[in-house]
Amino acid sequence: MWVGAFFIVFLAAVAGSSCGAARLYRFPLSNRVAIQDWRPFNVAHRGSNGEIPEETALAYKRAIEEGADFIEADITATKDCVLICFHDPILDDVTDIAAHPEFRGRRATYEFEGQNLTGFFVVDFTFEELQRLRLRQRYSFRDPSFNGKLQIITFERFISIALEASRTVGIYPEIKSPVFMNKHVQWPQGKRVEDSFMEILQKYGYKGKYKSDEWNKQPIFIQSFAPTSLMYISNITDSPKIFLIDDYTVRTQDTNQSYAEITSNRYLDFISNYVVGIGPWKDTIVPPNITTGYLMNATHLVSRAHSRHLQVHPYTFRNENQFLHFDFHEDPYEEFEYWIKTVKVDGLFTDFPGSLHRYQEWNSKE
Amino acid sequence: MFYVSLLLLLLLAGSDCRVFRFPFQTNEPYNIAHRGSSGEFPEESVLAYKRAIEEGADFIEADITATKDGKLICFHDLILDSVTDVHDHPEFASRKQTYVVDGVNVTGYFAVDFTLEELKSLRLIQRYPNRDQSYNGKLQIPTFEEFIAIALVSPKSERVGIYVEIKSPTFINHHVKWTEGRKFEDVFLNILKKYDYNAKYLTKEWLHKPVFIQSFDPSSLIYLHNKTSSPKILLIAPDSITSDTKQTYEEIISDDYLDYISKIVVGIGPAKEAIAPVDSNNKLLPVTDLVDKAHARGLEVHPWTFNHERNLLLPFDYHQDPYREYDMFVNTLEVDGVFTDSPESFETYRREWRIFSKRKRPYKNE
Repeated sequence: MWVGAFFIVFLAAVAGSSCGAARLYRFPLSNRVAIQDWRPFNVAHRGSNGEIPEETALAYKRAIEEGADFIEADITATKDCVLICFHDPILDDVTDIAAHPEFRGRRATYEFEGQNLTGFFVVDFTFEELQRLRLRQRYSFRDPSFNGKLQIITFERFISIALEASRTVGIYPEIKSPVFMNKHVQWPQGKRVEDSFMEILQKYGYKGKYKSDEWNKQPIFIQSFAPTSLMYISNITDSPKIFLIDDYTVRTQDTNQSYAEITSNRYLDFISNYVVGIGPWKDTIVPPNITTGYLMNATHLVSRAHSRHLQVHPYTFRNENQFLHFDFHEDPYEEFEYWIKTVKVDGLFTDFPGSLHRYQEWNSKE
Repeated sequence: MFYVSLLLLLLLAGSDCRVFRFPFQTNEPYNIAHRGSSGEFPEESVLAYKRAIEEGADFIEADITATKDGKLICFHDLILDSVTDVHDHPEFASRKQTYVVDGVNVTGYFAVDFTLEELKSLRLIQRYPNRDQSYNGKLQIPTFEEFIAIALVSPKSERVGIYVEIKSPTFINHHVKWTEGRKFEDVFLNILKKYDYNAKYLTKEWLHKPVFIQSFDPSSLIYLHNKTSSPKILLIAPDSITSDTKQTYEEIISDDYLDYISKIVVGIGPAKEAIAPVDSNNKLLPVTDLVDKAHARGLEVHPWTFNHERNLLLPFDYHQDPYREYDMFVNTLEVDGVFTDSPESFETYRREWRIFSKRKRPYKNE
């Protein structure tokens, strides 16, 4: 009886609030099966993009069907300050921008994270213009049959896909290239991309520390390569954050720090005040021998992180044999096995959440 | 008394190099290591076979061909160019030849133009460039007898069967002559009999010495029909003509022909595409009725070849996940064995799914 009343009040609250996007939740959030928390997280990197072009509604829905715990997206901004799911700063590699003569004059060269980059930049297009484009599969060796059919989606659409699922699905959004975003996009009233990012999350009720009741209902990790962005939003939200760490040669875009510095014990001590975990490129955790194609000895990064109660979510796991080091005998499940059982990571970013889910199901029969 | 039992023990040990072995498994689809664990090691090498056994293969598989001096070796191609370092041997430079093979001119270094001793001076290389190259130049071509020895002296307590192909018999019999009017098939059979491989399928003796004789050439299998009880498998490839009898694929898979050949063979070894054809976009088409037709006649079905690389045409439907393909063939289509380049992965699949054939052997009522 009071459950019904709660439901009606809930619907009224939902219907009554402002700001646009249709928010029809098919299942009351309190009735959904909770997210699993006893095995490493299956994070669908850009959705199930092994099968469907990355960061599309279809790729995210497929990832949820296949059992992903989290759907992951790179959040960038358009010229008119709309937050969208898109990985690259330029449109050239995964859209049909080349087939749009009306945009030919938009080609530009900007400095992007320390290098000159030429192409059609997202920040030079309004959202409405981007909607005219169609996405394609990034890799030529993956299924091209959805090319030309799918559109770029907004951050809000991404969130609604998670909230509309019949079980609890977490979101794992990245504050992408904030330095570039803040430089090139005219945010109103002195705001930053981080503010806009947080406004949307708050609008959809994402809050609460890791494993709190609120978090369990709407799980989230906020990720970024830029430590100052994570520190900035720490003042706004208690949602858990993940510090992403790139390859050895890449310096942080905001603080210009080296890999050695940001993985030092001192820095991990420092950043653990702001984040619950790190997301390193997996080849820096267990480096491969480029000549032989086999892995070398693992570093101690994981144990140093774990000793500071930091989770480790490496990226990115892919099924194709060109991404698999020879130790794994061309078998993506052997790679999962190694990282889960031997390295003992806490989550995996994968382009193939279906395969990871199947592996985890096999290995969970106690 | 003590010395008698000691002698008996030594005799038993000598006959099989191991006193006790578990019974050969026949409940699950056979794990047939195609050219050994050729995903990891150069094909048809001692290491590839040993590794396959370690990984749990039921059968190690080899293509048997002949040298100039009539010795039988394990080697797939007619020419040495693709998987040996023959090009690094200036002493053989003049041996390059052009012969007609099935009506087509083929140029290269033909194994039938080299003695066994000369072939032993060559070293094997990994056929596929994206596989581990680190054993190139280290391994020799094994003889048929060396191959058999690997199966017999395997340290595992499970028996290992041999799955041997009479390869290109028309070509071999044309180019290699044996004394006393013997043909390639006779010499092949004599070696099998020398090691006691001569029992009817699924008898106690066969389970003690498991073997399948396979060939694309029906006349070779028919020739051996009255000379050995060992079970035979007819290999089938779509869009091909049998080398010996010049029959088309459609003829071979016709009801009449299957009725006829099921008196000679216990099963067929079709290409995967004969069961699950693929369109020009690398997507699966509807499955054919070949498995049903074979099973209806009590014939086993052992398709080839399962490997993990996109460039070797894993259809997109499987999302680069080899386990999905195994599942399709084993669970959905209920085949009776698989030829795989990765016996380890198939073994993982069998173990995780605890696959038992829904159909119980023996399939034929005789």
